[in-house]
This record gives sequence, structure tokens and C-alpha cells, in this order.
Amino acid sequence: MQYTLQINDEAVTVRADGEEPLLDVLRENGYTGPKRGCRSGSCGFCTILIDGEPEKACLRPVESVEESEIETIGALGTQEELHPVQEAFVDNSALQCGFCIPGMIMRTTGLLKENPNPDRPEIREALSDNLCRCTGYEKIIDAVEDAAERMPVEATDGGISESEAEVESL
Amino acid sequence: MSKPQTDEPEPEIEDTESEDHPYEWPEAADNRKSISERFSITESAEKDDARRIVTGEAKYTGDYAKHFPNLLHAKILRSEIAHGYVTDIDTSAAEEMDGVHAIITPESETVPDKRYTSAGQSYMEPSPYDMQVLREKVRYVGDPIAAVAAVDERTAIEAVRKISVEYEELEPVLDPEEAKDPSAPQIHDPAEVENKLPGNDYERNIESHASGEIGDVERAYEKAREREDWTVVTSEWTMPYQSHLVPEPHTTISRRDEKDRLHVITSTQVPYHTRRQVAQLFDIPIRDVRVSKPRIGAGFGAKQSMLVEPIAVALSEAAERPVQVTTTRREQFFAGRFRRPMQIEMKGVVTDDGEFKALDMNALSNSGAYGPHGMTVTGCAGTKPLPLYPGTPNMRFEFEAVHTNLPVAGAMRGYGAPQGHLAVEGHVDEMAAAIDMDPIELRRKNMVQEGDLDVASGITSDGEGHVRRIRSCGLEEAIERGKEAIGWGEIEQPEADHLHRDIGIALAAQGSGVAGDELGAAHIKMNEDGSFILQTGAVDTGPGADTAMSQITSEVLEVPPEDVVVQPSDTDISPFDYGAYASSTTYVTGHAVKKAAADTAEAIRGVASNMLDAPAARLELSNGTVVDPDSGDSVTFEEVGYESIYGDDSREQIMGQASHSTDQSPPPYGAQFADVTVNEKTGEFTVNKLVFAVDCGTAINPSLAEGQVEGAMHMSYEYAVRGSMQFTEDGRPKTTNFRQYGMPTTADQPPLESILVETHEPTGPFGAKSVAEIPTNVVPPAMSNAIYGAVGARIRDLPITAEKIAAEIDN
Repeated sequence: MQYTLQINDEAVTVRADGEEPLLDVLRENGYTGPKRGCRSGSCGFCTILIDGEPEKACLRPVESVEESEIETIGALGTQEELHPVQEAFVDNSALQCGFCIPGMIMRTTGLLKENPNPDRPEIREALSDNLCRCTGYEKIIDAVEDAAERMPVEATDGGISESEAEVESL
Repeated sequence: MSKPQTDEPEPEIEDTESEDHPYEWPEAADNRKSISERFSITESAEKDDARRIVTGEAKYTGDYAKHFPNLLHAKILRSEIAHGYVTDIDTSAAEEMDGVHAIITPESETVPDKRYTSAGQSYMEPSPYDMQVLREKVRYVGDPIAAVAAVDERTAIEAVRKISVEYEELEPVLDPEEAKDPSAPQIHDPAEVENKLPGNDYERNIESHASGEIGDVERAYEKAREREDWTVVTSEWTMPYQSHLVPEPHTTISRRDEKDRLHVITSTQVPYHTRRQVAQLFDIPIRDVRVSKPRIGAGFGAKQSMLVEPIAVALSEAAERPVQVTTTRREQFFAGRFRRPMQIEMKGVVTDDGEFKALDMNALSNSGAYGPHGMTVTGCAGTKPLPLYPGTPNMRFEFEAVHTNLPVAGAMRGYGAPQGHLAVEGHVDEMAAAIDMDPIELRRKNMVQEGDLDVASGITSDGEGHVRRIRSCGLEEAIERGKEAIGWGEIEQPEADHLHRDIGIALAAQGSGVAGDELGAAHIKMNEDGSFILQTGAVDTGPGADTAMSQITSEVLEVPPEDVVVQPSDTDISPFDYGAYASSTTYVTGHAVKKAAADTAEAIRGVASNMLDAPAARLELSNGTVVDPDSGDSVTFEEVGYESIYGDDSREQIMGQASHSTDQSPPPYGAQFADVTVNEKTGEFTVNKLVFAVDCGTAINPSLAEGQVEGAMHMSYEYAVRGSMQFTEDGRPKTTNFRQYGMPTTADQPPLESILVETHEPTGPFGAKSVAEIPTNVVPPAMSNAIYGAVGARIRDLPITAEKIAAEIDN
């Protein structure tokens, strides 16, 4: 079967069986950012955003995402211009072997969309579907806290953004 | 040693080896730098691959699949029984399937029938050659029998299902004590094992046995019977299997390149050992084998073992196409390698004044079905922790590694030391309780200090083997800073009467590389623009070795670390290296890099000497320039780089190179603290905080060193409270995924704090020792000791559970 998927803001045509896990389809088509650690939804290394929600790509059959917006780690920044979450992971040394990191960063991105200022217990709860064997999680939790501070604050109705407030207070 | 005097002084260990093991070490003039003199070391430089990792662009073995359009995918058929013979394999139905390109069995032409070890150690390996690539006699559930290469994974899985296997079953034996009984089923035929180890007795399933003694332990027991102020304390400790839980499953791509050389891209910690092992196994000249290590999704010792490479090679040779083998997560839980179960009996003699008179240790370890690392890991259960107390006049250590029909034990971060430390550090706490002394005070009276001669690390050869002078030891500071961080003596008891809180302590030691059995090498060349290419065999498995190597280069040459491009380990490109194991990379390879950088600096001075018309010896490297301090003239590295290659008068490529090997292996030291609250009614417990303060010499990159400590503490915590793989009575694995195993997550991992205590190790590059393994050693004893302090229940077998605590309280 042929499917047209919206991946990182691009329409991409792929050949796959409808029941094939999205993870395998992504990887076969060159999106190797999501990693395969278990293929059963228990490690979280393949976490991506589907319609803005963090999901495990190994658990979603490709036929179920045809109408969806798919964002992999490739949707964020580049090595020269990192996304604030990526920057926070780099600056906090919140990575070692790196195999879990694309999934961890997508999980964090999803969390911060929903809760821009999570406290540590909220971060611990939100990240608990994503395993990491190298870091002991400490620096990852630091990085998520730091990322929340680095994220540009979107202006809400009738309000002003933090950066505007800073300008005004000058 | 500040030891209390007794009326009958024991003969102290005679320090007659001062000449052989001098305290003063002739280090290079630039090796010891004050903080203000440092250019790059002890800075938390950005990890070399960090940007590639966070953008998902770092490439692991599996990410190379798209580079080979005709790549085949493989699936391995594994034994479903724990012990027996394969009497028939019928592959006909699988052969008929479309898309199947190769099926291999033990009989296949491309499958060698030689015996080998998967250990991935230096040659000749201290591990028995007791396995074959595919096996007719199967010794555990998981033994590889056959494999298929097909156009895609699904076809390969389907084809494996269509292979039918007939077995003649033998009785399995799962318990190491039972396995030693002469009537137990015999797992290996000694006639079929090569390179056998000392003390083997295959008729009793014993892979190896060794013992050694310093002083006279029995005499100490005799004396203790006569003296009321000497107390004999015994205890017994039990440790289960532990899985590395490597994030990236073992993955290998095998192919022939355009020159028809064998090219193996693989997730390995030991590219050079893998090259040698593959060449020997398949009778291919070493020159015709290339092993490349891309980014690897962690190793922790799991990827020291050559697990799937031979199957990938045999399949690609049979199919005459590139083949990728990726183990499944399920396979990782029974067909990989593991930390070995051990039972350790401890006996010790301590005086009322807190002086250790004897430490006596007897370890029985379960190797599982095959013997890689059996002798060396079990030996380290004694030789890593006993050197914490090198002044103990009488010490004995005896061990056995025994086969059972369970998964294969191998190397795992800590390498026997975690099992040994639970026994020794748990036992020291029991001795403290027996004489009613503060556990820190007792340790302080006996623990190692700078200047000590450590013979305990050579105890298995009666102290005649590996002897070392301790030239750096930050244990005292580690204890003090750890106490402060955890709040020793300041914790408040919970309000509820049934909750009790206490802090436990345990000390730790490790080594820095395998003494006398390591080689690291490095090569540096200068580019025209004044930057450098650094080639080392150092295998960065994730901790940041490449970054540490660039910082060491940068420190010597006084250029920013980003001006040093580090090439990943590849046997065609990098100089030789034993690989990433035994905490050797920074200490051994780092030293080779430092020497190669000094060699490069000499060459830079040589070229600059002509340019500045000044003697080379006078010139100084400073911040990317070469300066003549007398005239004040200088040239930039870029000018030197261009001149060296395009100069009018003379031209030479500026290069430096060096090897480093040593018989030194200085121990890093650490102090672990665990703050635990226990419910006396239910045995349920909460770990409030874990602190580990480590003396790793100079931390070349403090952030990366902290990462090692935190990650290792997580692993050690998991060993203390979770883990343990379960098996059915016939040896089938019951634990086959992360959740069943109970790997801690962000939601249940207690807070961790790492503290780096700087000392200067004169034999290490810029004073560095190792840090990667030591923090995996001591969360279990620190927790066990804390629980004893809180509710008086001593847990001596892992994992620590509420049920065990409750049962112990009831006793």
C-alpha cells in the first residue's frame, strides 16, 4: 500500500503494509532519529509527536496516522541552531550514549507544550515512560527544568510575554 | 597506618618492596598543574557528539542500513531447552520461501566449528574456549542453533518459525551448589574445551578455582579463641543476575567491501579484539578484516562480548550480500551476557579497639552455560574490595566459578566488584555492630591511606602478584564531603512511630585498567589551518571518552578542544587499543594521547624554530600561537600549519604519535551514603537520597565524570532493589522485558548526588584515575547498612525487598 504522511511539515509518500509500525516505516524512509529499543512500547526511545502529543512510534500502525501531523526530532533545530530543549540537554550534559535522547527530547517538547512550567515531581512523572540507562536521570531532569526557562513564552490573550515584560521593566 | 597498639603486636605486612614500588613517581614536568595553570582540563567542555545526539543525527550501527541497498536482515533460531542435543534440523520449508537468501546451521560451510570464547579480552584470553558459533549441544535456553538472512525482518522471522528442530533432552542443573555434586549433569566435556583455566574440574562443572592467602588466617582464629577482646564475625551474602539493559540492542552489519575485504560495522566496545577474534575464527588474515565502531548505544560490558558478529559474518559469507543482525529486546534478556550471581561467605576477626586482624572471603559464582570472564570477574570480587583495608595482617580469598544451564555471565560494569563490595562492606558493618563501634570510625581505623603498599590486589597469588603503592587516596575527604551532603547525624526521625530513618555508608575501590595488560595508542596530525586530527583506538561508548581525549590534546597543545577533531574508532584508521573496559580509557589511552600531543608539540616547535629564527627549546606554545619569549615574536598555529606543508625551504607534515602501556592500575576510591526510611510494620522502605563522593584523581571533564557517577549509582540502586531475572524450573526465562525487570524510571529513581574529590595520581595523565565503574559498587551495602541502622534488620541477599525486611524484623 501507498500512504501519504505529513512528516515534519512535508508530505511524504511511503510504501508499507497498513499494520506496519510507524517506527519501522519512518526508519526505512530515512527518519532514523527515532530509535528502536524494544518495539513493544516499553522503552520510549521512539517517542515522536503525533498531532502535538508524545507517542511511541512503535505502537502506532502506519494506517492510523495518515491524517496526522507527525513530528520527529528532525522537526526541531539543527546542530548550528538548536531548539531550546535541545540546547538545554547539551548545556546540562544530559546525555551519554544518546540512544534514548531523541525520544526524551520529544517527550519534553510535548510536556512543555502542555505545562510550560513543570516542577520536578511533574517532570519525573511526565518522563517516566522514557527509559535512560546512562544518566541516572538527574541531569535530564535538570535539562527539562532549564528548557522550560529557555522556551519563548507565547503571548496569551490580553497578557504580555515575559520578554516584553522585561523590556517594559527596563 | 594509625593503628591502635595491642599488647601482642601482630607482624605488620613488611614493606620491603619500596624499591620496586616507590612512592615518588617520576612524572613529566607538565603533569601536575595548579588550577590557574590549566588550559582545558577540569573544564566541562561540551561533549563532542552532543549536537549530533540531540538532533538525532548521531549514527548508530542500525542507522547505516540505508547505506547498503541490498542489505539482508537476519533472525537467529535459539534453543528452547536448557540442556540437550539437537538431533535434527529441518530447514526445507524455510528454504522454499521467497526472499530467503541464506540459512545457516552448525553443518554449513561458512560456519566455523572451532572453539572460541566471546569474551573480547586481550590475547590469549583468560577465558576458556568453550563455545561454537552455532551449537549442536545446547546448554541454556537461548543457545544459537541456526540463523536466516532474508530480504526483510518479517521474512526472516517467518522463515525461522518454519525451521523444525528435534532435541534429545538432558536434565538441566540450575543451582551452582548442586552443579558441583559429582552426580549432577555434566555441562561441558573437558576434551572439547581449549584454553582451560586453572583449577577447572569439568566433571563437577567447575570452570575455575583459585585461592590465596596473606599472613595466616587460621592462626588469627586460634588467637581469637584465646582472647576475649578479639571477636570473630561471620556472614553470608547472595547476589542474583543483573542485566546491563543496554539501550541499543547488539547490532552488526557484515559485508565485503569493494576490495573484497570483510567489513564489520558493529556496536562493540572492543573493535580490535573483535577484528582478531573474527579473523581467527573464520581463518581470514587480519589485514583483510576491518571493524568500524559507529556511535554505540552504551555498552556497560555487554558489548565487550562478541555476541552476534560471527553469525552476521557467517550469514553474509553464505548469502554473498551484506547482512544485518539486530538482537530483539527479548533476546537481550536471556541470550546476552549478564552480571553473574554469587554467594560469598565472609569471616573476620576484629579487636575491641576496632583493629582488623583477619578478613576471610569465599566466593562461589554462577557462570551460566559458558565461561567468558568467569575466573577474572569472580577473582575481582575479592581483589577489588579487599584493598580498601590493606593493613589487615591476615587475609584469605578463595573462589570458584561453576557452570549451570542458565544464561551466560560475562563482563559488566564493576566486574565482580559490586558482588564483592556487598559482602565486604556489609561485613564491615556487622563487625562494627559486633564491637559496638561507629561504622565510620571502624572503617577509618583500617582503611587505606596514601603511601600504603597494597598487596591485597594480588591476594590470589598469595600477595606475590599484583602489588601496588598507593600514591593518591582521597577517601577521608570523600567521607567528610559525603557526610555533609547527606546530612549525617542531622536527619530527623519521621513523626509516625512505625517509620524509622537512618543513613548507611559503604566504601568502594576499583582499578584504572588491567594492570600489566593494556595498550593504548594515539596519532595526531596537524592541518594547514592549525587544527588537529586525533586518532585513537579509544572506544567512546557514550561516557564522552572522545571529548576527554580532545581535552587532553588541547591541554598539551594549548588550542581549544574544538580545534581537535577526534576520529571514531575504526581498525583501518585508528591506532591499536585494547578497547573500552576495566576503566582503562582515560588512564591508559589518555596517557598515550598526552604523549602523542607532546610529540606533536615538538614537531610544531621545530617548524616554528625556522620561522622565528630561534632555538626550538626556547619556544612556548600559548593559546594557538608559538611564542619566542626572548624576542616576543610569535607565529600562529595556522601560519605554522601552512608553512609546514607549503613552505619554500623545507616541508614536513606535523605529526605526533605514542603508545602507552603500564603495570600500574591505581584505584579510584569512593564513599557511598544512602538515606533510607523503613516502615517497621510492613518492611516497606523509601530511599530519600543517594550520595556518592568519588576520588577519581583529576576529573578531566567534571560534568562527564558526574554523569558517570549518577548513571552508575542508578545501576547500583537497581541491583539493590530490583533486577534479578526469574527462571522456570526447567531454565526458561520469565523476565523478558524492561517492565518485568523493573528498571527504575524518573518516577521512582531516588535523587542522586555526585561529589568529585580531586586528588593527584602521579601515574595518570594530568593526575587522572578512572571513574566509570567504581560508583556501580556500593548502593546495595549502603542501603543494607542503612536498613540495619533504621530497624535492626540485616538484609544479606539481593534484591532488598519489603518482604525480606519484614521477615527479618519478625525474627
